[in-house]
Amino acid sequence: MTSYVIRRLLGLIPTLFIITVIVFSLMHLMPGNAFQALIGLNPHIKDAAKVIAQRTANAGLNLSWPKQYVNWIVNLLHGNLGTSFEFQEPVTTLIGIALPNTVTLALTAELIILMIGIPVGVFQANRVNKGFDISTSLVAVFLYSVPGFVFALFLIFLFSFTLNWLPSMGTVTAAVPWSGNLGDRIQHLILPATTLALPSVAYYTRLMRANTLQVFFQDYVRTARAKGLHSTRVLFRHVLRNAIIPITTQFGFDIGGLVGGAVILEQIFTWPGMGELTINANLNRDYPVILATTLIFAVMVLLGNLFADILLASMDPRVRYN
Amino acid sequence: MAASVVSNAGVKSGGTVLKGKPPSRLAFERFMRNPLAVAGSIILLAIIFITVGAPLFTHYSPSVIDIMNTNAPPSAAHPLGTDPSGYDNLARLLYGGRVDLTVAFSAGVMTLVIGTIYGGISGYFGGWIDNLMMRFVDVMLNFPFVVFILFLEAVFNTSGELLLITVVVLTSWPASGRFMRGVFIQLRQQDFVIGATTIGAGTWRTIFRHMLPNTVGTLSVLVSFAVAGYVGLEAALTFIGLGLPLSVASWGGMLSEASNYTAMTTQPYLWLPPAIMIVLTILSVNFIGDGLRDAFDPQMRS
Repeated sequence: MTSYVIRRLLGLIPTLFIITVIVFSLMHLMPGNAFQALIGLNPHIKDAAKVIAQRTANAGLNLSWPKQYVNWIVNLLHGNLGTSFEFQEPVTTLIGIALPNTVTLALTAELIILMIGIPVGVFQANRVNKGFDISTSLVAVFLYSVPGFVFALFLIFLFSFTLNWLPSMGTVTAAVPWSGNLGDRIQHLILPATTLALPSVAYYTRLMRANTLQVFFQDYVRTARAKGLHSTRVLFRHVLRNAIIPITTQFGFDIGGLVGGAVILEQIFTWPGMGELTINANLNRDYPVILATTLIFAVMVLLGNLFADILLASMDPRVRYN
Repeated sequence: MAASVVSNAGVKSGGTVLKGKPPSRLAFERFMRNPLAVAGSIILLAIIFITVGAPLFTHYSPSVIDIMNTNAPPSAAHPLGTDPSGYDNLARLLYGGRVDLTVAFSAGVMTLVIGTIYGGISGYFGGWIDNLMMRFVDVMLNFPFVVFILFLEAVFNTSGELLLITVVVLTSWPASGRFMRGVFIQLRQQDFVIGATTIGAGTWRTIFRHMLPNTVGTLSVLVSFAVAGYVGLEAALTFIGLGLPLSVASWGGMLSEASNYTAMTTQPYLWLPPAIMIVLTILSVNFIGDGLRDAFDPQMRS
């Protein structure tokens, strides 16, 4: 088990290497660089061409690509992600601000998803085609069918613009005494987290219902019933244990997915997280930030997948570590 | 002989012999018995009809502005009003649907075709092939689509439907590839596949005759979810300015233009119609997908 985890972690390195090489090449193939946009368009800078050339040289962009990439790797191994061209700040500082915001959002959403999705799905399957099942299935299909950003618009329209209950922008209220305390933060978290969670809640409910139903038809469940076990015992000991396996796998995949899925919602809710940082960096050709955000997204997804595989193998003895 | 008669024809208790129907016909009949699936099909056909036949319903063009008549509330001339640029909203809604549906359907089908071939090979053969192919999927799954979209837009100096389809397919196929691999791995361990291999069926016969038909249900559900998802994805990308340019009429673009405080609170005719169309389209496709799943896999129904 430990050796499996270590092997898998080492196996991540080639993947990360390939991703960063591709992203590195792509971003250099994009026309223009950060300084042309930042300085070239600024009317207050005299002799812009000279300043651009100097800044480009300072940032090491005149070196050959392989050399630049090796420099980046060496710096990365020293824990240095470089300095943002746009903000003139270390990338680690920018990420240190953005990443906790995104992780808070994703974890809150994940909590909402699991707390609602699993119980509802099991109850639906247990009373299949009864009132509860049909009504919640319809609600789930509806929730699943509304794209996150349309939901965001409806929720903002309802709770922010019309009822004026919840804020629709940022993580804290600016310029008030209670700015930044727990209640304030939670208030700001409700709308984005709910929007991020709702489509997945519906998906998990459907998945859980389908899995549970599939297990219900297995021979060992019939055997368990036939030998006279109580139906709750059958449900929890025989059905649930098997039906929950695909959910755990999905959960692992979603850890990275939710962080990535937050990109669009962060734009709508002006949530200062990784999504905003990424899009901004790409539009401004802020190379160090592009590479760093790519790396972090990739590491999160890969660790999520690893987590899913370990969970799957530890829950389902038919799946072996290999 | 007796065995083949029994397997091909069911004998009713009354003694009348039923003629065997092919499984696809049975599936179609089950599909037609599902009211939600039928309703979904009708709604989707209606949406396709009004978008493809847009000139029948409005004589305005989605790309010609009425400069003297901007921000007009709904009237007889403009049933859904005009937007701040003077475009007729109904025309943009109908013609925009064409774009949304084209992108979603082409991307959905292409993603699944690539995903099934890739995942099928990986899952069936296993071993080092599987390992290598899945490492590549890992790479592609982690590939940041924002970087990719902006790269393609910057290099080709355009943003349009074709580019969007390409981006969506290139970034989405790994997920379906991974999923189909899982399906094939599961099928490979099933008794009927082991049985087919045991009685000497070749690799391709096993895959195409025994495994692939058993994925049809899963595939149809996946296609429906993919199409539904891409309608949303296209609109979302356009909404945040990474998808179609606003000069192209699309539902996401209409929402994007109307997503400010003033428009949302005072001009619901600007943002409600595209939002409703997006939701209706996705909902109907999902209902169809559900119907297909139940039709192809009757075991799922209790």
